[in-house]
Amino acid sequence: MHTEATPAQPDVSELDLVKQCQAGDSEAFDQLVGRYRTRVFGMIYNMVHNEQDAWDLAQDSFLKAWKSIARFRGQSSFYTWMYRIVTNVTIDWLRKKQVKGSGAEFDDAIQLTDIDPASRTVPKADPLPHQRMERAEIRVRIDEAIKQLSPEHRAVILMKETEEMQYHEIAESLGCSIGTVMSRLFYARKKLQNSLRDLYENV
Amino acid sequence: MKMFEEKWTAWLDDELTGDELVEFEASLPDKAAAEAEKRDAHKLGAFLKEQLQGRAMGNEEFFHHQLREKIERDARAGVAGGKADSPRAWWPIGRLVWVGATSLAIFCICTFFVMREKGPTDQSQYLSQILNARVDPVVSPNATISMFESKKDRVTVLWVDGLQSLPSEYATK
Repeated sequence: MHTEATPAQPDVSELDLVKQCQAGDSEAFDQLVGRYRTRVFGMIYNMVHNEQDAWDLAQDSFLKAWKSIARFRGQSSFYTWMYRIVTNVTIDWLRKKQVKGSGAEFDDAIQLTDIDPASRTVPKADPLPHQRMERAEIRVRIDEAIKQLSPEHRAVILMKETEEMQYHEIAESLGCSIGTVMSRLFYARKKLQNSLRDLYENV
Repeated sequence: MKMFEEKWTAWLDDELTGDELVEFEASLPDKAAAEAEKRDAHKLGAFLKEQLQGRAMGNEEFFHHQLREKIERDARAGVAGGKADSPRAWWPIGRLVWVGATSLAIFCICTFFVMREKGPTDQSQYLSQILNARVDPVVSPNATISMFESKKDRVTVLWVDGLQSLPSEYATK
């Protein structure tokens, strides 16, 4: 995890915010949303590969969190609890949509976000246009590889590799055992190694 | 007992320690190949992290605005806002169990009384015997038997007139 405290020692101010939310303070909830929206959005986006869908699912997730925040007991960190909602909402959506690995799903938003059409000069820190193009191509390859995974495998590999969550946090978020998490990681890694080896060996 | 996949994953993530680590490494047929795969998995992890992290959300203010609107709309509808969905709005499991048990008990009592009130609907043994009997014209030449039956009240009255003697087998048991 990046910023969250361990479940044993939850962040106090975060808990305060949660308590205020439980008392019906929507401003406090707004602050929690501000803290986690980017990570929630990023996680969902990496699972669904579409900006608009990720936006809608992030909205649904936060709305569900607000509705059920009275039931949050503080036994885990707020983020782990939030992640459980996020993964449930996203996996449900993916199952309903029945995303198949073969389905072409190109997202224009990738390029829109990466390249600012209004910029006339290229800032020094930014990659050059051909680098941007290359990055977009890599991103498409990664998205295609992730699409080959089941929703549960996607969630596990993303939580582990990009969110750096511990096994027990992932298990809590997905509502499964640590053994299941490790087993899913094993297969997800194998599949991604097979699909992306040429990329990460050369990039 | 961990399966191979679990041990392998834990080993890749450097989560395997102590005896488990020694045992697992000893069980590997080709440790050099396993180490190479471990490095490969680490490369994959670093690659995914670099490529997938930091996906920025555009128009964050609008995201907040839209979410606030949804929350307010829900609150106005009286179904949202934490309070409406709070545990107090739901019946706790204990109370549900009590209500269920009480309902079941009431149902059983009602069923018992209703069943008992219906009672036996068969004809009584005595009525059958008397109907099958013959009035002996020698012993009781003027005997008449009338039957009055009210099915609604489940009552049958046999009116016997002029009977001078009753055979012993029809005596009250």
